[in-house]
This record gives sequence, C-alpha cells and structure tokens, in this order.
Amino acid sequence: MQLVEREKLDKRIETLKQCYGNDRSALLPILQDLQAEYGLLTGLIMQETAHALGIHPVEVEGVATFYSFLRTDQKQGKYVIRLCRTISCDLAGKARVARQFENELGIRFGETTKDGLFTLEYTNCLGMCDQGPAVMINDRLFAKVTPQMVPQIIMDCRQDFLKTVFPEITPSDVQKEGPILKNALPFGEGLKKALTLSRSDVIATIREAGLKGRGGAGFPTATKWQLAGTAVSDTKYVVCNADEGEPGTFKDRYLLHAQTDLLLAGMTIAGYAIGAQKGYLYLRGEYLYLRKHLEKSIEKRRQSGLLGKDIQGKKGFSFDVELRLGAGAYICGEETALIESLEGQRGEPRNRPPFPVDTGFMGNPTIVNNVETFIDAAIICAKGPAWFAEYGTEKSKGTKLFSISGDCKKPGIYELPFGITVQELLEEVGGEDAKAVQIGGASGHCIPAPEFKRNIAFEDISSGGSIIVFGKNRDMLQVAKNFMEFFTEESCGQCTPCREGNIKILEGIELLEKGRCSTSYLNELIRLGETMQLASKCGLGQSSPNAFLSIVEHFKNEILGRVPEAV
Amino acid sequence: MPMKCKVCDDSRGAKSTAGQRICTPVDTDAIGAMIKVTIDGRAVEVPMGTTILDAARMMGIRIPTLCYHDDLCISGVCRICVVEVEGMRTLQASCAFPITSPIKVHTHTRKVRQARRHILDLMLSKHYGECYSCVRNNNCELQSLAEEYGVDFYRFGHVDKPKTGRDNSSYAIVRDMDKCILCRRCVRTCVDLQEVGVFEAMGKGDRTEIGTFMDKPMIEEICINCGQCINRCPTGALHAKDPSDEIWAAIDDPKKHVVIQTAPAPRSAIGECFGLEPGHALTFEMNTALRYCGFDKVFDTNFSADLTIIEEGTELLLRLYRALVNKDPSAAVPQFTSCSPGWVKYIEHFYPEMLPHVSSAKSPQQMFGALIKTYYAQIHKIDPADIVTVALMPCTAKKFECNRPEMRDSGFKDVDYGLTTRELAQMMKETGIELTQMEKSDFDDPFGTATGSGVIFGATGGVMEAAIRTVYELVTGDFIENLFEKARVLPVRGFEGIRRAELPIEKVGPVPDLLKPLVPNWDWVKGVTLKVAVAHGTANAKKVLEDIKAGGPLSECHFIEFMACPGGCLGGGGMPIPTSEEIRAARARAIYQEDESSAVRKSHLNPAVTALYEKFLKEGPCGHKSHHLLHTEYTARGRKVV
Repeated sequence: MQLVEREKLDKRIETLKQCYGNDRSALLPILQDLQAEYGLLTGLIMQETAHALGIHPVEVEGVATFYSFLRTDQKQGKYVIRLCRTISCDLAGKARVARQFENELGIRFGETTKDGLFTLEYTNCLGMCDQGPAVMINDRLFAKVTPQMVPQIIMDCRQDFLKTVFPEITPSDVQKEGPILKNALPFGEGLKKALTLSRSDVIATIREAGLKGRGGAGFPTATKWQLAGTAVSDTKYVVCNADEGEPGTFKDRYLLHAQTDLLLAGMTIAGYAIGAQKGYLYLRGEYLYLRKHLEKSIEKRRQSGLLGKDIQGKKGFSFDVELRLGAGAYICGEETALIESLEGQRGEPRNRPPFPVDTGFMGNPTIVNNVETFIDAAIICAKGPAWFAEYGTEKSKGTKLFSISGDCKKPGIYELPFGITVQELLEEVGGEDAKAVQIGGASGHCIPAPEFKRNIAFEDISSGGSIIVFGKNRDMLQVAKNFMEFFTEESCGQCTPCREGNIKILEGIELLEKGRCSTSYLNELIRLGETMQLASKCGLGQSSPNAFLSIVEHFKNEILGRVPEAV
Repeated sequence: MPMKCKVCDDSRGAKSTAGQRICTPVDTDAIGAMIKVTIDGRAVEVPMGTTILDAARMMGIRIPTLCYHDDLCISGVCRICVVEVEGMRTLQASCAFPITSPIKVHTHTRKVRQARRHILDLMLSKHYGECYSCVRNNNCELQSLAEEYGVDFYRFGHVDKPKTGRDNSSYAIVRDMDKCILCRRCVRTCVDLQEVGVFEAMGKGDRTEIGTFMDKPMIEEICINCGQCINRCPTGALHAKDPSDEIWAAIDDPKKHVVIQTAPAPRSAIGECFGLEPGHALTFEMNTALRYCGFDKVFDTNFSADLTIIEEGTELLLRLYRALVNKDPSAAVPQFTSCSPGWVKYIEHFYPEMLPHVSSAKSPQQMFGALIKTYYAQIHKIDPADIVTVALMPCTAKKFECNRPEMRDSGFKDVDYGLTTRELAQMMKETGIELTQMEKSDFDDPFGTATGSGVIFGATGGVMEAAIRTVYELVTGDFIENLFEKARVLPVRGFEGIRRAELPIEKVGPVPDLLKPLVPNWDWVKGVTLKVAVAHGTANAKKVLEDIKAGGPLSECHFIEFMACPGGCLGGGGMPIPTSEEIRAARARAIYQEDESSAVRKSHLNPAVTALYEKFLKEGPCGHKSHHLLHTEYTARGRKVV
C-alpha cells in the first residue's frame, strides 16, 4: 500500500518538475500544488520532493514550515477559512466574526472540524482593509463580514459555492482617480514608445521623471535600473514585487486586477532597459484568486507579440514573464527575501551588500520593483517625463496611490500627489475626527493629531501608501499590540534583535495592559526598540518597533497605569 | 562586479547552495586592489572585499562574534558583531560587511554597546540551564560574552523550566535545544560543510527553532555521528554522549580489567584542554595519567593502525590483482578506506550502491577491540568477559561504531566505550591530574609502541601516506625514501579538500614471505601507475563519489582515502573546542613531528604486528582468522527516513 502510494507520489512530483523545473527554485510551486492536492505535506511528500530535487528532506521541511499556507502538522479541511486579523479588519470588528465562526463550527482557531470539512485559521492582511472584516475561503473572498453572515457563508461552503450569494472578487472602491488611473493606455500602447528609445534613453527618461520606488523605501528607480543595466552578466532578471503584505495596503491588488496590461508593459520595459530576458511576477499567496486573470493576461500578451521573442518586431529583444505565488509570509515583500523565496528557500533576507542589482536571483543581476512602480514607468515612457514630474514635490515627483482604511467615512483607493499633508488627506477621506494616523502600515509611523501638518512625501513621511485612521475612541495600546503580534509572527526569525525583540515588546504591552509596567522597564523597552531599529538584519526588523515607539511617545498618558477591568 | 565566497568557493556569488548560508563576498574583479579602512581611528589598507571583522582582527581589534565561524559561510544573523559605519543609518554586521570603499568604522560606541548588551540579554532570556551543570562550563561562547559584557542580571527575564528537554537517543550526539541560541552554525555545518542535512531552521518568527526532519529523535535521523556540529556549537546545545560514569564504574570494579587504547589524534590536542597552545603532543604524559586514573593497561591504537595498513593494503593488492589480472568485474576499483566511521555511515546512507568499493577491513579501533578480547585475553589468561575496553578517540562516530551489532566478533562487544578527547580531559581533571606536569611513560606490551605510520592516521592523508610507504616497499623492495625525502609523501598531505597523487611502479621485487600464499609475483604491477586520492569532509567525499559515478578522472584511481571530518581525525567531533583550520594545522604539525621522531616509521616493519601474524593470525593478512576478527561488512541503509 505504502509502496503504491510512494510510486504515485513520485510520478506526480516528476510531472510537477516538468512544469516548474528541475532545480530548487521549483520547490515552492511544487509544494503548493502538493499541499492543494493532499491537504498536508507529510514526511513522505517532503522526503520524496527533496530527493527529486537533489536536496535534503530537512531543507524542504524548513521551507514548508516557514510559509503559513503550507502545512506539515495537521491536515487542512476541505475549506480553509482564513480570517484576517490585521489592524484594519481588527478595527472593523474581526473579534466578533471570529467568535461566531467558532460558535457555528464548534472548533477554535487553528483547528479542523472532525468531518474534515473546515479549518479555521487567522491570517495576516488580506488586502481588503477598506472592506473589513475580510475572510478568505480557499480562493474566495468575503468582504465586510458580519457575525450575522457567518452561518450563510458556511452554508455556501457546504453547497460547494454552487448557489453563492456573495460576489467572487470584491473590487476595491477607487475613491479618487488621478493622472495615472485616468490615463490608462489602450492595450499594447504602453510598450510602443519605449521600444523606439535606446536602452539608455529609457533609463534617462525614468530618471528625468524622478520616479522613486513606490513600495515605500523610495529608492530612485532609474539608479536601480542603471546599476543592473551596467552589471556584466548574460542573464538578468526583472522581478515584480506583488507581495503586498503591509497591513493596510491594497492598492496593488487593485492594480493587478485593473491595470495588468500596464504592469506587464512596465516589466517588459524594465527588461528592455537592463537587458533581461526573464521576469517573475511574485504574487502573494493571499491573492491566489488573481492567478487566473494574471495568467490570462500574460498569455494574451504572448499571443499579441508583446511578450516572447522579438517583441513588437524588435529583433533580439526577448522577454517573458512567469507567475510565481507566495505562500503566506509578509517578509517576502523584502526584496532579498523575495528572491530567496523564488529560489525555493525560506524567505529570509540576505546580507546587503551585495545588492540584488549585482547578485540577485540565482546570483544574477536582478531588479525588484513594486507593482505601482512598473505601471508608473510604463506611463512615463508613453507620456514623457515632464508630464509625470508636473505632479508632486521637488524630491517626490508624481502621484501616489494611497490605501485608506480605518475610522473614516470613505475608505478606499486614492490617487493623490506627493506632498499632501495628513490633514488634507483626512479631509479628503472623511477622517476629520482622527486622533492619530498610521502611515506606512505596521512598519510605518503613528502620527498624532498635532503633527497632521506634516507632508506625505519621501522627504517627510515616507510611505508605500498604507494609511490607517484611528478615531478618537481608539485604544492606542491595542493598536500597538496588534502590530507587535503581527511582527512577532511575521519576523523571519533569523536575526536576534527582531526575533526576540518583538516578543519582548509584545510582552511589555501585555504588562501595560495589566497596568503592571514600570516606567524604567518601559524605557528599557524603548531602548530595545532603538537596538532593533539599528541592529536588525533587514528593513522589517529595523522598522518593526516604529509603531510601538511612536505610540509610546505620543500616548504615554493613555497607556501607563491602567486598571484592568475585572474579568 | 562578480563575487565569490572565500569559504565555500561558490562562484555563483554571495550565497552557497543552501539558502541563508550567505557567504562573504570577495570581489574577484578587484583582487589585489587595496582599500583604506579606518577602525576606531586607526587606518589600515586591506584587500578590497575584506570584511570589517577580518580587517579588525588584522589590527588586533576585538569584535565579539557568535554565529560567525571560520569554517562556515557567513550568516550574519546573531548581530552581536555589529559596528557603526560612518554615514550609515543602521549598525552593520562586521562579519558580513565587505569593505569596498574607504569607510570609517567605530566598534564600541554607545549604540554598539547597547545593541550588543541587548542582543546578549535577549539570547539569555530564552537560554535555559545553569552554567555549572553544563558540559560547556568555562568553554562556552555565550558565557564568555556574558562575562565580557558584564551581564549581572536578566534584563528581559529568564526561563526557569525546560521547554524541549534533551534528546539522548543517539549513541554519539546529545541535543539540548533549551540551550540553543539559533546561531545556525549546526545547520551550516551539517548542510554546507558536511552535506548530511540533519538540521534546519523550522518555522518562523518567535517560533523559529532548529529542527530535525519530522522532529524525529537523532537516532532515527540520517546522521553520520561526525560531531562536527558539536565542535561548532557555541553553547552546550549539542554535545557528545559521555560514557565516563560507566568507565569510572568499571575502573572501580576490582573484577574488571580495564584497558584503554589511545588513537593518534587525541594526544596531539589534549594539551589544549589544559591550557596549552594547539600543536603540543602529550603522548607519553598521557600514558602516565591514564594509569593514574586507574586504567590497567594503556595501548596505542597505532598498533592496529599498522595492522590496518597490512590488512587493507593486502586487500588492495588482491583487489587490483583480481581486477587487472583476472579481469574480475566484481572487484570494485578504486578501493575506499574504511577507518572513518562517519564516512562509512555516510556512504551506507547516501551511496549504498558503492559499498563494494569500501575496504572490508575494520577500523583500527575495532580491530584492536577484537584482538584485546581474543589474542590479549588468551596470552594473559584473562576471561574476556571481565575485560572492559575503552577507546580514546577524537571522534564521536566511534561511539556509534562500537555499538554496531556486527562489531562483536570476539564473542563480546569488541569495544565497550568510545571516549572522546574532551571527555578524557574531564576525567583527568576530576582526578586532579595536571597533564602537562606528568612524567612520561611508554605504552604497555604486548602491543608496544607503534610506528610513525600509525601516528599519521590522525591527519587527513595519513592513511594514504602510510599505505603508500608500505605498499610501495612491499611491491618494489625499494625504500620509499628514494622516492620521497624522509618518507614524507607530500602530495597527499595538506588541507586541500580533494588531493590526488600518482606513483609509478617502475620495478618490482620479490613477494615478501607474509604475502607469498596470496600472490605468485608482482610482475602484473610493473609499469602500473598507482593513482590515489584523498578527501576529507563528507561534502568533498560527495564530490569524489559523484565524479566516480560520472566516470570522471577520480574513477581512474586505485585507492582513495576518505575522512568524514574536515582535517581528518585531528578535526574530529570529539576533539577540543574550538576548531579552525589554523588549530587543525597546528595539531597536524604535532602529528607529523611524532612520526619523524618514531624509531620505526613503516607499518610493515612494526615488530608487534609481525609477532601477531606469527603467533596468532597464522594464515597471514586477509586469512581466515583475520577475516573473522579484523574484517566486516556494511549495511546499505539508504536515505529514507519515512
């Protein structure tokens, strides 16, 4: 019996290898497919996969246990119900939805029903922050879930979604379109102009437009492309970072759906500019439902001669894009962790230097850019740099897509010029009552009301576009707690300050909750936060204490000396 | 600018084949270019790509390290080595930062000191166990750093209950994950350096831990017991399974006759446990100390090393005869050595189809054990049931080897206990012995003092060198000194991962008496160029085996020496901690010195060996009795855990 099973499994792995490749970089997609088929990555599955790829079984297990969508401990149910517990959904009432799911199914989170039908899990940000609480069941999304909806959702599952009453993909509301969203080009137009330019002129155009990375760090895109372009190597890669995991951001989810063509054009332009033949679109596992749409779009461009060999008749320029899926790891949004993940490794950030432009995917020069950056680049090439540079500030040119959620009247996506003040933004979104705004997601900063005059721009408050509004009745300690729970779980776990520091701060917050934290210990935790900012290996660890530190700084009076309610 | 790792030589650049084990990038374009770096106000020129840590070491500036290890690819995860680089917002891990522009570095600013202290406090908050009940007490990197940074209280608390408990299942290696600080040296050792793959980081976030496949106990894992992970663990999270309590009990039992055989490598390093610099052999002081501890007899494993050369060398000649003269396809050439039990288990797991290549000769430890409970028992009229044999070894895999079910050819467990260098030093300390002050004394008869060929078994290439000395002389009747000055077979010495040598046999002599029953003459060897190779560390062994499978140049070899541990036995998993290439080289110097000061330096000239064949193994090498006692067979284990 065991033997037959093994043979069947080995055959399946061989087939998957033919799909995804013979080396370790095929590991993650193979495991994802096997997870979907078997519901659990057993020791046998991991061992046979390891041997098929020429690595050690323990390495496969290391990878499988890293990603939260892969399971090695218990078999998942037919329907995996993932409830988002990140800040925006938390603010929107996730706790009551969670309670009702437990009540209806008779299990706790982390468990599977005895009949093997349902697994209840928490997940981090699903990118539905403006429509929370959000639930994802296999590859289906449910928005604005209320406790009342829970039994209906479960009924839908039981009927295998045959007569579902909820729409499949819930689009985000675009509350305000700016020049980028208004100027969506016709199919195929994005690439045309760029390919008439020389490679160096493409980069010069991007430089002139002053485009900086839209993921949040704001590194000049042209410089990145220039470095990768001049690196000496026959093989180079373009990677699109569609691992939009920052709590409170969902604009890439919209762009991936609505501006797919421009995104692929932008990647192709980048490939042309740096001399790459291959691009990877790394889509976060939480956006699994976008897979079909993206694959279709890629195929359509191939059919139209916009991907593949001699693109648009340009002899010698070949470029193709492959879709790869993440598997539930926030850290893979860090570019070197993303590359590690693409290589079939645990998504752990690398030492820098060397940088990806020099030593990236499989050791080759690689650029990693955000979805929005590629789209901006495509439009810049089509409409010219001056058009783009008209918007924004001197140091932050252009417009930015903001994902607005939390305590405001009109959450959703806003395209606004850089340089806008927090106050102006709040007026725009109907969040005038706010006592604080979290800018840049969990790794960003918490800006209190007295600082609402500050500008959102790379030179002042930098952001990847996540804006979470906290109304005047919000408990800021709970906000800090939610962020620290997030980082405690999402730290990759390799470096000491981040792995151990986040949990210490979280424990400190629990002391504060109980009203049992001395100021001297709080000060020690503040210094620990400084150490984490300074000594962590990557950007995640370096920014993980930001929210805690700013909340402690601005709301000390609110968090000290609490008297917990009697339980 | 292409980068190449200085440790793993990965031309792909900044990382090795295994994930996070990212290597020190060395800018190969700029080799030779010098760059100015200023550390703590002192300027120095270093080659482009030198790390800050290396530059600081050159200047004698100490930067603490934990996850860094000389033998391993760079990881940069513990962050204890962070320093401030002017112009950079964050602190940089000095072990992972290649200098490619003229930077200014500060190694002990407020930020740096605070960060290091915090990192230590964070590690200690999760590190369970008290120093005084730890095997690494006084030789623990975490403990030393706690002292160095003046840790006098647990800033972030401390665990007072074990979380995982110990895994005692293995014969060789004890895992105590409550002491793990997640530096991942064991992962890099097991996956990169040894290519065995027992350990990997599992999970993420605060749940990250070092795990084994399917969390199985060590005994069920595909582990070769080499103990290299122990040598590189900065704390007591990994240590060897210590049999000293049982040995003391045997010594204390008046009915038991307790004998110890001592391998060559421990004597070259045991002084390190008593404060000596690496590279001082204490062979004869150790003999006295062992008797002082209460061992009844002290024997030299080199005797059985010489015996191994005769048996294994004869086997090689017979194998070549079958292959070259009889064209027997079942004679698997090249022949592989079998003295390293880590290596033997490696090939049993990973290349079972190649087991016919492995010499059937037992390792010197096991040959000796079998002889003590037969030959020695017989001539001294001791009931072998009352003999307890202890083997002092540089090795943790020997603990597994002596427990193999096939190692009972004497009718008893041939070797009762494998004891490591570290454990013996501990036993000696317990008796108050100051080893360096001991008088010198010789080994006991009837095995006496062995030859220099036995001694060099302790270094990588040593078995091959000993075999060459003997085989060459037995076949040609000539002196090896005519080929290699002072019998130093230099091509097989050194620390290059894989080394090759060729030995043309231009003339042949008469067949010596000992081998007359086995071969008619040596004419068939005449004109043959004997090709040999040496590999140490199982990652190198893997390269050799893959090359042979692919029909590469190494498949043309006749004889290949394999050692599981980098450096051979002197880098063994039971040797004093720490280890580095420099330390291993110093131990090798001590070993080669002892060889050159030996009266007899060739195995076939060992009078005790000759006597053994005259009195006991009368059918000669590879004869019936020696086959029964001195040879063995192997198990094709494969690499499936589930």
